[in-house]
Amino acid sequence: MKVKVVTRILEANDRIAEENRKRFKATGVFVVNLMGAPGAGKTSLLEKTILKLKDTVRIGVVEGDIAGTDDAERINRTGVPVVQINTGGACHLDANMISEVLPDLPIDDLDMVVIENVGNLVCPAEFKVGEDIKAMVLSITEGHDKPLKYPLMFQESSALVLNKIDLLPFIDVEIDRLKGDALSLNPLMKIFEVSCKTGHGIDAWAEWLRGLR
Amino acid sequence: MHEVSIAVSLLDLISTHCERGGYRSVQSVRLRIGRASGVLADALLFAFDVVKADTVARDAVLVIDSVSLGGICGECSSPFEVDEPYVLECPLCGSSSFKIEKGYELEIIEMEVN
Repeated sequence: MKVKVVTRILEANDRIAEENRKRFKATGVFVVNLMGAPGAGKTSLLEKTILKLKDTVRIGVVEGDIAGTDDAERINRTGVPVVQINTGGACHLDANMISEVLPDLPIDDLDMVVIENVGNLVCPAEFKVGEDIKAMVLSITEGHDKPLKYPLMFQESSALVLNKIDLLPFIDVEIDRLKGDALSLNPLMKIFEVSCKTGHGIDAWAEWLRGLR
Repeated sequence: MHEVSIAVSLLDLISTHCERGGYRSVQSVRLRIGRASGVLADALLFAFDVVKADTVARDAVLVIDSVSLGGICGECSSPFEVDEPYVLECPLCGSSSFKIEKGYELEIIEMEVN
């Protein structure tokens, strides 16, 4: 016999994400889900952002990687609390993984938690983890074709940080086309041009982030 | 590769429905998957075949209804559908003011059970 069972497949994940969100909300923590490809500069951006904000915003970090603790060690050196999740092969963080590490973060004493997702332009965009906003880092060396190749992440992100902007004179990327396509997919997206190497643009991004909470 | 996570979530849902309804086996499960959901049907079929072993869904076949991305233009008011997994402008009048109405689905629709 046939039975009608119209249900969203990721309903269980979304439910746990909503529970995470309530726990963060209850202690007044603003949560950012930071996404981007491997090597885009997510951890570098986070290091620079923490150094800018840590005197005025109490930040905690969740590092998601398939394996290793390199990123958590880098964040640890900035002096803010950090928890490493190793997904052991999974290409994204999901709500349950965040729920499991919540007890390891001093969220009562934090204003903001940044969850650095696994480096990947596809899957992280599909799984809510309990964030207030998603933001993505794209290094301009990845090319101007990325918005149309990975539209979902651009549509889901409130901010696009274009990193390695200091390399613009040396590469063939069409930056206006990149920004134009990103804005066509998501007209409300804030775009920041930054260089984690030179520090260019970090202030504007960090101030925008501070203003959100 | 996240199709494995989705297959596991799907299996959890199927198992829950079977427990509640007292069904002993599942012959088929019909899904609705939007073009812009980011889910590859082939990868999901493969992943589901792996995770369904030794479960109530071990004999279940997935039937996937694919849904094109589509919406309604705010300018010319025409409904439209596109082949790509994204829309930049209304394909009829070129306006960038439009509302997406379908194409992001990732749902179970019905199951055939015993």
